[in-house]
Formats: sequence, C-alpha cells, structure tokens
Amino acid sequence: MADIEDVIPVTPLFDRPRALRGYKMNKMANGLGVPANREAFLADEAEYIDRYDLSDEEKTAVMQRDWHEMVRLGGNLFFILKITAVDPTPITLVGAAQAGMDHDEFLKTRLGKEL
Amino acid sequence: MAKLIGGVGTSHVPSIGAAIDRGATQDKDWKPFFDGYIPAKKWMADKKPDIAVVIFNDHGNSFFLDRVPTFAVGVAENYKPVDEGWGPRKLPDFKGDANFSWYFADKLVENHFDPLICSEIEVDHGLQVPMELLFGHPDNWPVKVLPIWVNTVQYPIPTPQRCWDMGVLLRKVIESYPTDETVVIMGTGGLSHQLQGSRAGFINQEADLAYLDGIANDPEKYRNMSREDYVETFGSEGAELIMWLVMRGAMDKQVNLIHKHYHAPASMTGAGMVILENKA
Repeated sequence: MADIEDVIPVTPLFDRPRALRGYKMNKMANGLGVPANREAFLADEAEYIDRYDLSDEEKTAVMQRDWHEMVRLGGNLFFILKITAVDPTPITLVGAAQAGMDHDEFLKTRLGKEL
Repeated sequence: MAKLIGGVGTSHVPSIGAAIDRGATQDKDWKPFFDGYIPAKKWMADKKPDIAVVIFNDHGNSFFLDRVPTFAVGVAENYKPVDEGWGPRKLPDFKGDANFSWYFADKLVENHFDPLICSEIEVDHGLQVPMELLFGHPDNWPVKVLPIWVNTVQYPIPTPQRCWDMGVLLRKVIESYPTDETVVIMGTGGLSHQLQGSRAGFINQEADLAYLDGIANDPEKYRNMSREDYVETFGSEGAELIMWLVMRGAMDKQVNLIHKHYHAPASMTGAGMVILENKA
C-alpha cells in the first residue's frame, strides 16, 4: 500500500494517520470560521497561515488553492472548505480537483448534469 | 407521558440553506428538490410536535479535531446558528428544552451511553437545514429542540448498531418523560455523497432509493451493515446515513412510510427524505 502522503485513495477515511498529518492545515482553515481570522487571511494570507506553523508544502498548497494537494497532505474537506468561504470557489470545482477531472467532465460524468 | 408522533429522515446538505438564502428555491436545479418537501411541511404543521430531537453531525463548526465526541447531547435553553465561515445566517435561535435534555442525558448514562453534555454550544447546518426544510422560516421555531451530535467525520465513527441502540433507548426516554408533550425524531445526513478522494462526486441513486424504502421496511439490513459497507455503498460522507438509525431504532418494527422524496444531485449529494409513523 502506498504511503498516505503520496496517494489519495478512492475513498480516504479520515483516520488517525490523516487526522494527524493534516491537523495544522485543518486548524488553520477551520480558524476561518471566525470573522477576524477571515479578515487576517484576506489582508495577508501568508502571515495568517504562518500563525499555524504549516510546512512549506502545506503553505504552498493552500496559497495555490491546490485542493488535490491539500487533501493529499491530510486536509479534510469539512475544514478546508472554509477557505472557499473567503475565496469563493464552487464545491464542485474542489470535487473535480479530487477526481482529477476538468469541471465540466466532473459535472457530467459524476453528477449527471446536462451542460 | 410524552408521546412519539413520528420519525423523519432527511438530508442536511449546506447548499440547501445557501439556496434558500439567495432565493434560489424555485430555480431549475432546486425546485424539484424543494417541491418534495411540501407534503412533509404539511405533515409537520398538522402534527404540531412540541419537541424535535435532531440527530446530526457537526462539520468543524462547533467541534474541531482537538476534541471529538462520539456522541454529544445539548442541554441548553438556547442554541444560536453558528457562523460557518460565510457569515451568520438570518435564522432565529433554536429554543432548547433543558428539562427534557437533562432527563435524556441522565437516562443515557444510566443505560451505559456516555455522551458529552453541552450547556453552551452553537449549531451548524446539520440541524439548521432539516429545521428549515420541515418547519419553513417562521419568526420563531414552533418546537423546542434536543440536539444530538454524532461523530461521522474522524474515525473511529460509531457503529450503525450503536446508533440504533441509542434510538431504542430514546423511545423509552420519551415514553417515560412525565409530560403530555409530543415528540418528533429527525435523523439527518446523506444520502450518498463523497467530497474527497478520487471517487469524489460519487452518487449511488440505486442504493439511495433502496435505502429510502429499506429504512422503513427492512431496517435490519441497514443496522447490520458495517461502517465500511456504508462508505463503500454511499460514499465516505454518505456514511452519515447511520444517523437515521437513531430515528429508526426509536420506531416500532412495523411502520408506515407516509412520505418519501428523492432528488439528485443537490450540490454534490443524493438528497431526500422519509416520514415514518408507527403502524399501531
């Protein structure tokens, strides 16, 4: 079995290794439930992220809005979705990134949408 | 004694609340979903329960990963809607029933359940959305709520059997509570969906439709499934459906399926509901 840090399985369970791996990133994202933190994130994203002691690759994934990478690093959607509240992003775009599809293909093949 | 008047199972997808807030309930994508709740609202308005027990999971809003209760029970007199990151929603506070909630908490512990007991806590879309779907948007909610949080986010999550057992006890608690109030139980979450992993966007309509009938007429099947079965069949977040078992465990073996509704996709989720009443 591949290391959890390399491959996102078909259905990742948010178990001990993932919860530990992603703890700081999830905590950073979850902090955006507080208005003052949202303002801080918007004012100086890097400074806000640094408060949570993220690794360089975690910080880069967040700043690039690389949803696939965030999940690979232990991010859980329930927490990292709060980033989409500050930087509006449809959840289907985040889903498409997980599936490795472009957005339209994801909407059609996974969600059965007629485009 | 208090009386159980029925059980509701329903989705609590946050996009439902967002669609309501931006006035999109009659849009092409959403109208079929909301139309299916019209008979359910009418049922609720006719039944006029005094208390709604709402079983749901928190989504990183009232609990973070620093403390994850497997089960938690609210014993507050008031619950504010929580700001999930998009700013506060225009919803009235939810009124609690501290007497009934503490009575339930006492009985839980006496019967070897050991919940976290919460006196001051806010509630997220897991409770908000089912309340909106079943009660609309009154100035004040016409029922008091007893919130029960179930961890469905960080593993280990509780087993389907354990959820069912809590329902069995909940029924006894209601029927031994010394008032003449009426109670509805709302098990929430699901249906099939998966937000993360390469199978993201997974919706299993066939399994969802079977579940809506099966939760009424063949609940043993869903009680006996493992957590892994739930994840495989309904997706990683679709495993929220174990929370409907608290409701079903509280009902009689034989129930009438009063109303059933299904729509997919609602955002990235198979969505729908049932209303069950005991046959006798």
